[in-house]
Amino acid sequence: MIAYKFLRPDGRSVFTGFEWPLPDDTPGAWVEAPVVPCRSGIHACRTADLPLWLGRSLYEVELAGDIVEERTKVVASRARLLRRIDAWNDDLRDSYTRDCADRAHVLARSASPPMDDWDAVVELGIPEGPALLGFVAARIAEERDGLDAYHAERDRQRSWLVERLALADSV
Amino acid sequence: MAESAEHVTCQEVVELVTDYLEQALPADEAAVFEQHLNFCDGCDWYVDQMRTTIATVGRIEEENVPPAIREKLLAAFRDRRRS
Repeated sequence: MIAYKFLRPDGRSVFTGFEWPLPDDTPGAWVEAPVVPCRSGIHACRTADLPLWLGRSLYEVELAGDIVEERTKVVASRARLLRRIDAWNDDLRDSYTRDCADRAHVLARSASPPMDDWDAVVELGIPEGPALLGFVAARIAEERDGLDAYHAERDRQRSWLVERLALADSV
Repeated sequence: MAESAEHVTCQEVVELVTDYLEQALPADEAAVFEQHLNFCDGCDWYVDQMRTTIATVGRIEEENVPPAIREKLLAAFRDRRRS
């Protein structure tokens, strides 16, 4: 199964600090760990999960062995990094952050009555980056129109990423 | 736990941090907890500090505690049990 994985800029895992064997012209070495979601195993994203886990560097990852699909991630017992997705760079991160900020403003200002308190925090959050602004836009949507709107906004963000990163959307 | 199954607040992170570090949160709750850490630098730093504190305190042996402080702690514990 092909999926995606965000890592720190130095190639370490965001939460565990594990140093991944990075790909160059060839895939990185296989990594193995028993599957226990959120405890053990290699955690990765389907395209729908990408907006929830945005990090600094993005890799395409091949999953094998035991594979468990969870609500917001997929966990496997074996994995190797196939390639770094270079399109996820500082420029695109900034564009995504701006897009989510613009969306958040539209949602907040067109609410009835306008959500001025929410609107005011949007620009303040921009320095914190794309993960926060994606969350802010989704939360404003949820506050305005309910949980389905939260998911709709997350899906809009997924589409934005899939298109700009030229990812296969079947994952 | 959280009001929404999709996210937790900073306040909820503070309330859940011990369960998270002890791996006692159900997988879905651990996932939304980590999503929060992914975008909230303040909570990420807080959880990191808690992890460091627990690791440091966990290395303290009984013989590392000065006798005077050990006596005070035992006295406080005895008083607490009586009250």
